[in-house]
Amino acid sequence: MPNLSRRGLLATLAASPAAMALLTEAARAADLSASGLVGELQGPTMITDPAKWPKTFQEAPMLAERVKAGKLPPVAERIPAEPMVWQPLNETGKYGGTWRRAFTGPADGENGNRIQSSDKPLHWSADGSKIVPCVAKGYALSDDGKTYTLSLRKGMKWSDGSPFTADDFIFWFEDIYGNPEIVPTPTPEMRPRGKPGRMVKVDETTVRWEFDVPYFLFEDIMAGDTAMGGGQAVRQAAKISFGAYAPGHYLKQFLPKYSSLEAVNARAKQEGFENWVQMLHFKKDWELNTEVPVLGPWRTVRPINTAIWLLERNPYYYAVDTAGNQLPYFDKVQFTLAESLEIVNLRAMAGEYDEQERHIDLGKLPVLLDNQEKGNYKVHLDLGFAGSDFMFHVNQSFTGDAEIRKWLTNADFRRALSLGIDRDQLNETFWLGVGTPGSPAPGESMPQSPGPEWRKKWSTFDPALANKMLDGIGLAKKDGDGFRVRTDNGERLRLQVIAIAAFLPYPKLSEMVADQWRKIGIQADVKEMERGLGFAKQTNNEHQLFVWNNGGTELLYLFPTWAVPVIPGAAFGPDYARWYSTGGAQGTKPEDPNILKIFDLYAEAAGLKAEGRTHNAQEIWKILVDQQYGIGTVGQSPAGLGVRLVSNRLGNIAARVCNAQHCRTPGNSHPETWYFKA
Amino acid sequence: MLTYVLRRLGLAVITVFAITVVTFVILHLPPVDFVTAYAAQVAASGSSISPAEADAMRLAYGLNEPLLVQYWKWLSMVAVGDFGRSFEYGRPVTEVIGDRLWLTILLSLGAIVVTWGLALPIGIYSAVRQYSIGDYIFTFIGFAGLAVPNFLFALIIMYVGLRVFNTSVGGLFSSEFQLAPWSWAKVWDLAGHLPIPMLILALAGTAQLVRIMRANLLDELRRPYVVTARARGLSERRVIMKYPVRAALNPFASTIGYLLPYTVSGSIIISVVLSLPTVGPLLLHSLISQDMLLGSTIILMLGVLTVFGTLLSDLLLMWIDPRIRLGQLK
Repeated sequence: MPNLSRRGLLATLAASPAAMALLTEAARAADLSASGLVGELQGPTMITDPAKWPKTFQEAPMLAERVKAGKLPPVAERIPAEPMVWQPLNETGKYGGTWRRAFTGPADGENGNRIQSSDKPLHWSADGSKIVPCVAKGYALSDDGKTYTLSLRKGMKWSDGSPFTADDFIFWFEDIYGNPEIVPTPTPEMRPRGKPGRMVKVDETTVRWEFDVPYFLFEDIMAGDTAMGGGQAVRQAAKISFGAYAPGHYLKQFLPKYSSLEAVNARAKQEGFENWVQMLHFKKDWELNTEVPVLGPWRTVRPINTAIWLLERNPYYYAVDTAGNQLPYFDKVQFTLAESLEIVNLRAMAGEYDEQERHIDLGKLPVLLDNQEKGNYKVHLDLGFAGSDFMFHVNQSFTGDAEIRKWLTNADFRRALSLGIDRDQLNETFWLGVGTPGSPAPGESMPQSPGPEWRKKWSTFDPALANKMLDGIGLAKKDGDGFRVRTDNGERLRLQVIAIAAFLPYPKLSEMVADQWRKIGIQADVKEMERGLGFAKQTNNEHQLFVWNNGGTELLYLFPTWAVPVIPGAAFGPDYARWYSTGGAQGTKPEDPNILKIFDLYAEAAGLKAEGRTHNAQEIWKILVDQQYGIGTVGQSPAGLGVRLVSNRLGNIAARVCNAQHCRTPGNSHPETWYFKA
Repeated sequence: MLTYVLRRLGLAVITVFAITVVTFVILHLPPVDFVTAYAAQVAASGSSISPAEADAMRLAYGLNEPLLVQYWKWLSMVAVGDFGRSFEYGRPVTEVIGDRLWLTILLSLGAIVVTWGLALPIGIYSAVRQYSIGDYIFTFIGFAGLAVPNFLFALIIMYVGLRVFNTSVGGLFSSEFQLAPWSWAKVWDLAGHLPIPMLILALAGTAQLVRIMRANLLDELRRPYVVTARARGLSERRVIMKYPVRAALNPFASTIGYLLPYTVSGSIIISVVLSLPTVGPLLLHSLISQDMLLGSTIILMLGVLTVFGTLLSDLLLMWIDPRIRLGQLK
């Protein structure tokens, strides 16, 4: 690596386009492809054959002490009869140490939820392609797709030693989910075609879901980062109460059903809460309450709402390595508060974090590389699978201006905008050349990819064709400055772009595209907005073009928001999304037959087996790319959560981890198998 | 005198009530609520919140209620000293602020002491030795201090600290002391982290105050009473310190009204850049995340401190400047 200290300073201070251009050169000099920054997808191997499971178990020294002192039962009694058995990536690890990370405050709970994600009912394999066991050892779908059965592990326990059984699922379903004071709106995930499903206890370790219509999609939902399949950590924090199961033996004392309304309200008052509901929201939140039992590898010992969020090993964690050592290897995880992302990146360069992929800025890659030796860490780039890490979502239900609406809903207009984008320039400037330019379709390695020919469809740089198309649809007239004019009043046609700074400096990227669009006579006004405000505008159907990525859409049915308008708030057309999600009760029915076709394919898919679902998703992607409802630029890059810094002291680290929402990055590379070599 | 103070106190109470109304209205002006802001933050970290989950959050935070009801609830809580729980932190607002308050005050007071300790002597020197080499040097540094945005200065110092001295950047404690209980070692660690933020905080203020002090004193030095004092043979030191400096101090006393709120939330940007665990970043963040109870409490606190500080500076001015005192008595 060349010495980059001056450039490094620039990168630290500001990410101006000029500075970025310098960085691009530096990155090219480093030759990313040959540098070993992008490795193969790897992870520990799950051993599911009981014959290969260890017969005796060992535990961490800190737990052995507690056993000796009589405060904890022996390790063999704490581990389930059917544990999750991992063969670590490289070798059996050593116990001890504190994993140091950065977090940005109490709203950054996902930072810890994701590494706690082995509390999900089911998870995904290291490459993100297959559903694998997790809390549950397996599942089965009936032939008609109307019943889904989850099998739990015999002898599994909560972090306080109480048994974890089917009762914890039924408790959640009846007492939490079934109480409108806690959950005012049921999740659509439990209501295929609007018909509510039921949960039934079969025996101690078996739970059954019953639906009135075929619902094969439910297998993906129970493994996804969804309301039902997300796990306790994320779905029962921040006043949310989903997650399919809950620690009933602990939470019952806070519910009026098990004592009386007066009793729980009196207790709430005494503990400083407004009422029992507020108390319950606190008590079930693992980020805040150090007493709530959990299933994941860690439990909170110092809550998230202070300067340090501290986790400690769960003495009853249900996973072991092939040598019989109870996981995790790390004793503790410590998140240190950083008030700004600049601080996170500076501290990361100083080697103050042992592993950190969150809040690390791709734009700082050259400086991060430059400091590798000094900070004793290695940089990995984990490429994502989503088609676009920066794209224009074109609002199809926009009604604020009839002339603008006419063009936003015109397919050739959208295609021309797409052909007017020089994606290579964007890629070189803002992705340091590591992204893949093209349409928003998911990466070709994903099953739902419509095929490689859809990467370039309407997604190359062809300003001549774009100009011809714009002339052809009736926008041939231009003003003195060469911009096309409105057909209603002859004034300049101005498109408004809402850009929020997230993942990448989106406002700057949008400015570059606006500049490129000048060549096709299109004036785009980029409005940089504060995050919350931008989202409020989008939800209220006030945006024309909204800039974001399409993260998660590589699993279309689990995370459809940034691809199809089926969940309220979709930038594609908030009003159409309202129509679809309320079954036509609210919102507006789209007139565009292609959107209706998407709705049909999407609705049908929930009742189809995996093959049929995949087929429908591919068909939807073909329509999306052909119609350019979302205009993709550059994707499959490490822009979000994909720049990973790992201390050289850590072992069992994957060369590349699955960087995707369903993988709960870095959750599905199972941090409980990482360890300190020295 | 007493009636004057009482009247001012009465006005202060009415002003504070008005502040609660304005605070509440302004905080609710943006078309964004806490849940939208939270969902946006989660989206910006590659995860998502479903509409059903957002509904549950709105119910739990009472955001579905009409604004007037929310205001009345808040006011009746505040009236009995209960500021509620922060949405984001899930802890009582007083605790969240309390955690950071004394470090904030320590840092700000330190910065004020440094500012005044540097600005007063330098200002006097510059005025008395006008157009000397020293005056030019201080003037140059002063203008540079005014012109360079201090967040940039903070970034540069952090980067140099990291590259050259290999020091931990940002924060007020080294990582090994973050969790440690209070000890002399921890105090020493804090003492090691304080000077840099204090200096950065002080720099811009110092430059400004030097200029004010210099200008005021220059005005005074040309007054006939100074010439008279000199003519009567008073020592140079006594001539300057006894009267002109005292007169030139007036602007300092009148800024006390703003100093009080400053000690609590001064220089938000620098605190964010340096990752200081102070109230400033908390205020900024609570406004961005629409954490209503936390944001309104801090703004209310700043309002009360401003009102109280203004009262204090009025009284102080009366004390140091007989002209004002006499004017009031007439």
